[in-house]
Amino acid sequence: MSADQGVAVVDRTRCVGSGMCIVYAPGTFAHDAEVKAVVLDPPGDDLETIETAIEACPTSALRLGGEQEEQ
Amino acid sequence: MTTVQGLNRDRLKELFDLRSSYNTLMGGDFQTDPYPLWARLRAEAPVHDGTVHRLSGYSGEAFFQGLPFPEVPHFSAFTFAACDAALRDEVTFASSPTVLGESSETPGFETSMLSMNGAMHRRYRALVQPSFVPAKAGWWITKWIEETVQLLVDGLVDQGRAELNVDFCAAIPILTITHSFGIPIEQALEVRASLSQPAKIAAMLAPIVAARREDPQDDLISVLVQAELRDEDGVHQRLSDLEIYSFAILLLLAGSGTTWKQMGIVLTALLERPELLAAVRSDRSLLRPAIEEALRWTPTDPMFSRHVTRDTEFFGKHLPAGSVLHLCLGAANRDPARWDRPDEFDPRRPVKRSLGFGGGFHICLGMHVARAEMLVGIGALLDRLPNLRLDPDGPQPRYIGMYERGATEIPVVFG
Repeated sequence: MSADQGVAVVDRTRCVGSGMCIVYAPGTFAHDAEVKAVVLDPPGDDLETIETAIEACPTSALRLGGEQEEQ
Repeated sequence: MTTVQGLNRDRLKELFDLRSSYNTLMGGDFQTDPYPLWARLRAEAPVHDGTVHRLSGYSGEAFFQGLPFPEVPHFSAFTFAACDAALRDEVTFASSPTVLGESSETPGFETSMLSMNGAMHRRYRALVQPSFVPAKAGWWITKWIEETVQLLVDGLVDQGRAELNVDFCAAIPILTITHSFGIPIEQALEVRASLSQPAKIAAMLAPIVAARREDPQDDLISVLVQAELRDEDGVHQRLSDLEIYSFAILLLLAGSGTTWKQMGIVLTALLERPELLAAVRSDRSLLRPAIEEALRWTPTDPMFSRHVTRDTEFFGKHLPAGSVLHLCLGAANRDPARWDRPDEFDPRRPVKRSLGFGGGFHICLGMHVARAEMLVGIGALLDRLPNLRLDPDGPQPRYIGMYERGATEIPVVFG
């Protein structure tokens, strides 16, 4: 995936660690030690798969961010 | 370890037959296919007045989350968009009608996190979430699922025929969850029978909780006794015995019944489609999508409810504060606005989330364990029972039940 397509952004206050994103895009999402979703670098799925995972988040904790938000 | 052959099969049948007295409370005697009616209701309006069971023509009293509450107005949502919106808005649509206090007097699922809202729910759920993440599936399979499944298949493999709904599908989840709690197999069925008597379950758990406080093991009760709850002031505190019992009762309730019925639905859907079953048998990567599709097509829990906390206009209906909104997830999962050919069971359709495990902050905690149980269970049947098919001379399985749906029976032959 090229950078100008944006990357997934995790809202850690909304993430409850349900693991839905890992079901749909296991090449892109993982859990950290606090069981919050994190985005692997580089993301290992195509954009459509990542969008499916973002839409699947039950607590609306994920969105597709722009390149400039990455820092 | 377990001697699953020692399970009392008559008792198992009594407890795990949707038509038995243990299961009629949730509308287990509902025999009609509700989907055509749900399709009509969904097409008419996203939200209707009344409960799902009344709108479905069920005249009995059915109990489930959000029922009965006879003194308040009831509404039911049928579209994917409406159900999804309600699940995602925990402020307007709360899981419990009242705010639970931190210290409850009695153990039970009413005082468990199922009934908690907002930040309190998140603090409690965070204690157990690490044991139920996808990365823990291997722990569940190796420690609690695989051996039980293989022993159950050992018991059938030479007989050439079996009734899989009770002897297989029902046995796996109850043995997995009780085993992971350290409850001896002799008591596993008693736990299931006593779920409506929390004091009895608490008494069975008390010696295990005491033992794990002394000497923690690699099991779930040890996770609960070691868990530290952080309150709003950041003070850490261990769970009381009472809180552990409530947690445990919720996990036992949720873990012992739902996966039984959902596994039966997956199996039946495959057995009714021999070509698809053959495809799954030869390409095992199709099993996971078949499980996901069954969760969409016929979720065993087709309805959950939310309590309306403030007056709101919702998909064309005015919902007053205090009313109950029932979310017909079964109807939402076949919404043609989201899925093409929604009534078809098609594991090859594009991957997309359904509401089979619910949604929002209360989404099924055990969903990855349930997936693992179904994957390992059905996988073992396909590995070890050649030419598995429905028994042509037996009664054909039917899908029944109102708020807990499942198969009547699954008689098969093989070899």
